[in-house]
Amino acid sequence: MNKKIIACCSLVGILLSLSCQKSFLNVQTTTPTPSNDPSVANDLVTGAYSSLIFIDAGGGWNYDTHGISFIAATNIMSDDADKGSFALDQPGINDLDNFTETSGNPFVAALWNGYYAGIARTNNALNALAVAAIDSATVRRLNAEMRFIRGYYYFNLVRFFGGVPIVLYVPSGPRAANTDTTLVTRPSAADVYSKVIIPDLQFAMDNLPLKGQAIKGRITKGAAETLLAKVNMYLKNWQQVFDLTKDVINSGQYSLVSDYSTIWKEVGDNNAESIFEIQTGQFNNSDAGIPLYSECQGPRNNGATWSNPSFPYAPTGDLGWGFCTPSLSLINAYEANDPRKIATIIFVNHDSSTTLWDGFVIPPGSGVQSPYYNYKAYHSEKLESFFNNRDRQIKNVHILRYAEVLLMNAEAATQLGGDAMTPLSQVRARVGLTTASATQMDVWNERRIELAMEHDRFFDIVRQGRAAQVMQAAGKNFKAGINELLPIPGTQIALSGGRLVQNPGY
Amino acid sequence: MKKSLTIGSPRSYAIKKFLLVMKLSFLLVLLGSLQVSATVKGQTDITLKLDNTAISKVFTNIEKQGVYRFLYNSRLKDIQEQVSIDVSNTGIKEVLNKIFEGKDLTYKLLENNLIVVLSRLPALQDIQVTGKITGASGEILSGVSVTLKGTSRGTTTDNNGSFTLTVPENGTLVVSYIGYVDQEIPVNSQSVLNIKMEQSSKALDQVVVVGYGSQRKIDVTGATATVKGSELVKQPVLTATQAMQGKVAGVQITSSGQPGSQPSVRIRGTGSLIGGAEPLYVVDGIITSDITNINTADIVNVDILKDASSTAIYGARGSNGVILISTKQGARGKMQISYSGNVGIQSATHLVKMANAKQYADYVSAATFGITTVPVTGVSTNWYDQILRNAVEQDHSITVSGASDNTKYLLSVGYTNDQGIVINNDFKRLTVRTNDEFKLANNLRLGIMASYTNGVNQNVNLGTAYNDAYRAAPIIPGRVNGKYGNTSLYQNVGNPILDINNNNYHATDNRLQGNAFLEYKPVGWLTLRSSIGADWDNVVDRGYIYQFFADTATFITPGGNQSNPNSTLSFTTANSLHWVWDNTITFNKRFGDHNFTLLVGTTSEQISSTSSYASVQGVPADPNLWYLHNGNRALPFTNDGFGTNQTRNSYIGRLNYSLLDRYLLTANFRADASSNFPAKNRWGYFPSVGVGWVITKEDFMQSQKIFDLLKLRGSWGQAGNDFTQAGAAGYTLTLLQNLPYYFGGGSSSGSAISQIIDKDLKWETTTEYDFALEFSTLSSRLTGELSYYSKIVKNALINVLVPSTLGSFNPSGGQGYVLTNAASVQNRGVEISLNWHDKIKKDFSYSIGGNITFNQNQVVGLNGGQPYIDGPIGANQPYVTKTNNGQPIGSFYVQKVIGVFQSLAEVDAYTDKNGRILQSGAQPGDFKYEYNANGQLDSVYAGSYQPKAYYGANIALNYKSFDLSIGGYGTMGGKIYNGKKAFRQSLLDNIEASTATNQWTNANHSQTEPRANGGNLPASTYYIESGSYFRINNINIGYTLPEAILQKTRVITRLRVYVAAQNPFTFTKYSGFTPELQPPTPTSASLTNAPPSGSSPTSAGIELNAYPTVRTISLGVNIGF
Repeated sequence: MNKKIIACCSLVGILLSLSCQKSFLNVQTTTPTPSNDPSVANDLVTGAYSSLIFIDAGGGWNYDTHGISFIAATNIMSDDADKGSFALDQPGINDLDNFTETSGNPFVAALWNGYYAGIARTNNALNALAVAAIDSATVRRLNAEMRFIRGYYYFNLVRFFGGVPIVLYVPSGPRAANTDTTLVTRPSAADVYSKVIIPDLQFAMDNLPLKGQAIKGRITKGAAETLLAKVNMYLKNWQQVFDLTKDVINSGQYSLVSDYSTIWKEVGDNNAESIFEIQTGQFNNSDAGIPLYSECQGPRNNGATWSNPSFPYAPTGDLGWGFCTPSLSLINAYEANDPRKIATIIFVNHDSSTTLWDGFVIPPGSGVQSPYYNYKAYHSEKLESFFNNRDRQIKNVHILRYAEVLLMNAEAATQLGGDAMTPLSQVRARVGLTTASATQMDVWNERRIELAMEHDRFFDIVRQGRAAQVMQAAGKNFKAGINELLPIPGTQIALSGGRLVQNPGY
Repeated sequence: MKKSLTIGSPRSYAIKKFLLVMKLSFLLVLLGSLQVSATVKGQTDITLKLDNTAISKVFTNIEKQGVYRFLYNSRLKDIQEQVSIDVSNTGIKEVLNKIFEGKDLTYKLLENNLIVVLSRLPALQDIQVTGKITGASGEILSGVSVTLKGTSRGTTTDNNGSFTLTVPENGTLVVSYIGYVDQEIPVNSQSVLNIKMEQSSKALDQVVVVGYGSQRKIDVTGATATVKGSELVKQPVLTATQAMQGKVAGVQITSSGQPGSQPSVRIRGTGSLIGGAEPLYVVDGIITSDITNINTADIVNVDILKDASSTAIYGARGSNGVILISTKQGARGKMQISYSGNVGIQSATHLVKMANAKQYADYVSAATFGITTVPVTGVSTNWYDQILRNAVEQDHSITVSGASDNTKYLLSVGYTNDQGIVINNDFKRLTVRTNDEFKLANNLRLGIMASYTNGVNQNVNLGTAYNDAYRAAPIIPGRVNGKYGNTSLYQNVGNPILDINNNNYHATDNRLQGNAFLEYKPVGWLTLRSSIGADWDNVVDRGYIYQFFADTATFITPGGNQSNPNSTLSFTTANSLHWVWDNTITFNKRFGDHNFTLLVGTTSEQISSTSSYASVQGVPADPNLWYLHNGNRALPFTNDGFGTNQTRNSYIGRLNYSLLDRYLLTANFRADASSNFPAKNRWGYFPSVGVGWVITKEDFMQSQKIFDLLKLRGSWGQAGNDFTQAGAAGYTLTLLQNLPYYFGGGSSSGSAISQIIDKDLKWETTTEYDFALEFSTLSSRLTGELSYYSKIVKNALINVLVPSTLGSFNPSGGQGYVLTNAASVQNRGVEISLNWHDKIKKDFSYSIGGNITFNQNQVVGLNGGQPYIDGPIGANQPYVTKTNNGQPIGSFYVQKVIGVFQSLAEVDAYTDKNGRILQSGAQPGDFKYEYNANGQLDSVYAGSYQPKAYYGANIALNYKSFDLSIGGYGTMGGKIYNGKKAFRQSLLDNIEASTATNQWTNANHSQTEPRANGGNLPASTYYIESGSYFRINNINIGYTLPEAILQKTRVITRLRVYVAAQNPFTFTKYSGFTPELQPPTPTSASLTNAPPSGSSPTSAGIELNAYPTVRTISLGVNIGF
C-alpha cells in the first residue's frame, strides 16, 4: 500500500511541476519596435497623414478632422453657407449655424477629439522616428512632415477654440494629466502660435524639399512656407506674410490653372496650383475619401423619384444629404459674369430639370430640398473614380492653393503699401475679370469669392475683426466677443477636473 | 456477548493508542452516553469515601484521582444504582469488587489502566451479517457507516456498497451516511441485510459542492447557497440563472426576455466596474463564463459561493462569486427514462404607450407655437404593434439513465425553440449530454461528461428597430400592401419594420464542452484526482442586408435616405478553445475528535480564440446563393480577423478542520498567475479563513428543544479579478492598422498607436469578511440565515475615460479610454433568509420562503482622484453619471429640476443675488433648474441604479396530488434614467402618450411636466424615475397522477402536468419598458457615444431600448418511465 501511495504522490508531483512552465504565461504579442523594424516608423508617419482623411471609421461623428464637423464649423457657420438638409435634421449643426451651440455640441466635441487624436499620431510618429533605423536625411524629412501636420492641426484648433493645451509628447499613462497639468490647461492663443505652430512650420519649411523634388502627396517646403505665411497673416505680421508668399511665388513651383472649374474635379487633383491637398483614393477595393465629405453635401431629394438610369449606383435616388448649401449672401457677392459662380454653386432649376457636368439630372426644384448646393464638393459617381462606397467618395480637399498665396501677398501689400494690384489681378484674370482697384476690401472680397466654400471664410472675417458686423448683416445671430470661438467641449472640461476653462459666453 | 472491546491487533503502542482513541470517540459520537476520559498510566491504590452515590458517579470520582479510566454503556443495568463506599489505599480490583457486589456488573482491567465495565448477564450468540446499502433509486453508497447500536463495533461499506459485520443476533444496526437519514435496523438473526437509504430533506445534512470538492452543509464556514434543479425546471426560461431570480439572498439576477441571452448576476453588490462583474461559472468542475448551452433539465443542483472565503479557492476568478452547476448522473437500478416538456405563448407586457396621430400632431404644433403643422394622413400607427407579436416557446428533453456495478450512464437530449416576441426573431437550441462513470478497479474511477449544443439564432436588428419604433411618427403607415411607410422621408427616422425586414442575421453556434477525470483512492483517506476539461465553441454569424432603394418599389412614397443600394453578405466565424487541467490530492482523516481534510493541487488553463470576418456586396437575394463567392468583386469587400490568447497557472490549497464536529475551521490559499498582466504583476495570492461554531452540538444545548440547529460562522478572505474580457491584455500596445494615404498616386497603408496604456496594470483584489447565524427551529419547520458582509474591491479595473488631449482614441467612437486600476469600491450589506415548511394533516403541506438583501454600494477611493463620467445619451447629454467618492457606482449626476415656470413673471423673478435673471430665455412651461449661490447652473447626485435592497419570496402548496408554487422578486431604492425619453432628438420624434396628456399648457399648469418642446433638453432629474419593482415571475400549478393509477399502467412511473405563468405581474412606478435592466445597458443611434464594449456599471440604469418584459403562459408535462 505504501508503494502505491509513493507512486501516486510522485505522479502528482510530476503533474504539478509540468504546469508551471514560465513561458506558458507569456502569450502576449508585443508591439513591433521602430528600432528593430524601420517600417514601423514609416507606417506611423503614413498613419498620421491618414488622420487628414479620417480618424474614426464611423464618419467623423466622434473624431473629425475634415468631415462633417469641420464643414459645419467652417462653411456652415460662415455667411457663405447654410445648414441645408431639412429644418430638423442634425440640430447640433443647426445650433452652429445659428450660434446657439452649447458646450455639449457633439460636432464641436468631434473636432476637439479628432484634432487631438491626429496630434497624438504625429507625436507617436516623431517618437518612433527618434529611434528608427532609417537614414538621417529621411528621418529629417519625415520629422518635418509630421511637424507640418502637427502645426497645421494646432493652427485649426487655435482658430476654432483659442488657446488649447499644448501636447508635444506621448503621455505616459491614464494619469499623465495628474502629473503634467499642462495636458489639460489652456495657454493663451499667442503661446500656441509661438510655442508650437511657428516652430513646427519653420522646421518643416527648413527641412522639406520643393514640390518639384517631392513625391506627389507628401508635404513640401512650399506647403510649409505658405502655411507659415498664413499663420503670420492671422498674427498680422505682414512683412513675414509678404516675404514668405513672395518666396513661394518666386519658387517657380506653382501657377494658376486656366480653368477654375477643374480645380475641384478629379482632373484637378495635384495640379499646378496645388500646394497642400488632402489626398484620397481607393483602398482595399473601396473608396477611401474623407467620410461623408461629398455625400453630406450632395443634393438631397424632397419626396420625388430621381431618374438617372445611366448612373448605376443610385439610378432612382438622390446624391446625398444636402448639407452646407450656398447662401444668398454668397450668391449675391459674385460680380456679373464671374464664371466662378457656376463653378462653385449648383443652381437647381425650379421648373425644369438641371443637368450636372457629368450628365446627372436633378429633377425640378420642387423635388429637391434646396435650390443651391456646393459644386466644389460634388463627386461624379459616373465619370470619376468610384468604387461604390458613397460614404467615402474620393474627393481631394484643397487646403492651400496658389491663388491663396497670391491673395495673401496682395493683402500683405495693402498693409505694407506695396503692389497688391499684380497678384490680385493675376487671380482675377484667370477667370476673365479685370481689376480696377486693389484695396484691402477688394482683396477681402476676392478671397471670399475665389476661396468660397473652401473652409476659410469664417476664420477670415474673425481675423479681419468684422465677424459680428458681417454675420449680423447676413442675418445671423452672431454675438460679438463670444461666437468668434467655439465652446470648449463640456465633456473635456469635466474630464480635466475643471482645469480647462470655458470660453466666454458659453 | 464477549466482554471485551474489539481493539484489533495493535502492532505498536502508538497505533494501538491511536486506534483506541478513535474507537472511543466513535462511541462518544454515536451513542452519546458513554463517558470517557483518558489520561494517566501506572498502578495506584484508591482512597475514596462516598455515600449513596450512583455507581457511574463513583467511577467519575475514581477517574478524578487521575489514574484509571472507565468505559461503559450508561444504559447498563445497575450502573445508576446507588452505593456507599469507604476505602483508603485499596487496590482497584478490591474497590471494584466492593462496588459491584450484588450487582449485575463485572469489569475487565485492560492495559493502560482502562477499565471496561460490562454486564454479568449471559451473552447472546454473535452472527456475521453482510449486506448492501443503496440509495432510494438503487445507487450504490460506499463509505456508509454501519455500527452496532450501543457499541463502537462497526465498519463502512466498500466501493460496492457492501459491508460485513459480526454482531449479536438480537442487535440493532445503525446506518448513517452524509446527506441521508440515519436508520436503525434490527438484525433479528438475519445474515443478509440489504438496506435502502433515503436522502435527508434537512438542508443541513445536505452535501454542498464547494470548489474542488464537496462538504456537508453543516461543516461549511463560508456563505453558500443551493438551488435545486427541480426548482429551476419549473420555469419556462432558457438559462438556469434566470430561473434562480429571487431565490437566494445576496444574489441579484437581472434578465431580459431576449432569446438566447444570458442574465447578468451580481453577487453581494457590484464590485468590479468593467465586464468582469459577472460571477465565475463552474460546470461539473470546469470553469466557464457562459452557461447558455446548459439544458436546465440536466441540472441537479446549483451551488452559489458568495463570500471571499468560499471563492478564494478560485483565486483570480473568484471575486464576483462563483456559481457551481452539477449535472445529473445515472443512478443504480433499472434504466430510467424521463421526458419533460412545455409549450407556451409569449407576449410583451408593460409596453410604453406612445402618442397617437392626433396627440402627436397637437404636440408638434404646440411645441412650435403653431408654425410646424403635421399633415393629417388618417393613419395612426402603433409602431410597437408593428414589430412585436405573440410568440410560441417550446422546450423538450428526454433523459435515459441508469447504473450497474461498474458503470453509470446518462444520456439526455433537449430541444428548445423560442420564437421571441419581435418579428423575424427565432432561437433554436439542441443539446445532447452524456455523463458516464466507470469503475476501472476497486479504487479507480473514470468519469466522462460531455455535452454538445447546437444553437441557431435568427437575430433581429433590435437596437435600431426599437429606437426607431419609439421615435417614428404615428402619422406614417407601417406597411401597406407590402410597401413601407416612409418615416425617413418625413422625419429622418428609419421605418422600424424595414429595419428588421431588410436584415437577415443568422448565427449558428456549435459548442462541445467536456470533462474527463480519473480518481484514484489508494487508501480510504487519500484521493488523487486529475481532470481535464475542454470547451470548444464555433460560431458562424451570417448577415445579409437586402438591396432596396428609396423608391416606389419599397416605399409608399419615394425619397428619404433609408436605402441600401447594394446587398451585403457577411460571415463572421469565431472559434475558441478553452481547456482546464486540474490535479488535486485530498487527504481526509479523523484523529479522535479532530477531523482534517486537506486539499492541494494545481490547475492550469488556456483560452484561445480566433475569428475571421469577410463581407461582399451584390450577392443575389436568393438565400441559396448566400455564399461569399457570389459577391460582386467590383464592389467593396472586406476581410479581417482577430485572435486572443490567455493563460493561467495556479496552485491551490485548502484545509478543513473540525473539532468535535462543532468547531469548524476552513483555510484556503491560492496562488494565481495570469497572462493578462505584465510579468512583474502577474502573480496574485489569495488567502482566506473561515470559522464556524455549531452551537447546538454543545453539551449545554442538548437539553433545549427550541433549536434544532444553531450555527455561527464568520470568515475573512481575498479573491481576485484578472479581467477576463476576451483579448483585453490591456498592458500591451496594439497598432491600429490599414490606415490609407496616397503618395505618388498609389495607396499606402499606415498604422497608428491609437491608445495609451497603463504599463502597471495589476489585479483587482476583493477583501471580504462576513458573519452569519444559521438556525433551524420548531422541529426544523423554520430555518433561516442572517448574514452581514463587507467587501472592498481595491484597484478595481476600469476603462477610464481620459481627456482627449492624452491622445487615446476609441475606435468604436466615443471618448477615449484607458484600462487601469482606478478605484476602490465597497459593498456592505445584510442578508436575511427565512423558510417555513409544515405539514397539516396527511394531505396538505406548504412552505413559505423569503429573502432580502440590503446592500450599500459606495466608491471609497479613486485612484488618481478624478471622478469618472459616463452614460452618454445623444447630442445634448454627453454624460449623465458620475462615479465619485462616497457615491454609489454610476450615480446619476444631472441638473436638478425644481419646477416649471408658470408665467413670464416667474421667469423674471428667478434671479441670482445680484438680480440677474438666471433663465432669461425661458418661456412659461419651461423647466426651472437649480442654480447655486453664485448663480451657476448646478448638477446634483440623484441616485443610482444600485438598489438599496433586493428581495425574493416564494410559496409552495401541496394538496394531495396538486401542487402550486408562486415566486417573485424585486428591488427597492434604485433609480433609472429614462434614456429613450431623453434621447428625443428632434421635434418630429414621437412622444409618449403621457407626455402628450400631461404637458404644461395654459390650461394645465403642471408643476412637473414641461410644455411641448422639440426635445434636446439637457440631462436633468426630470428623466430620473424610481427603479423599484416587484415582479411575480412564476406561478406554477401541477397535478401528479397518484401512484395507484400509475401502477396500473406498468410503464409510467411518474407523471406530472402543469400550467406555468412566467412574469404574470409586475408592480412598478417606472414608466419605461422594464425596470429590470440587464447590463450592459444597450445604447444606440449614430450620435450616441457608445460606451466601450462590455459596458460598465458606471453607465448602468439607463434605459434606451430595453427588451420589453416577456410574459409566458405555458403548459408542461414531466413523465418518468
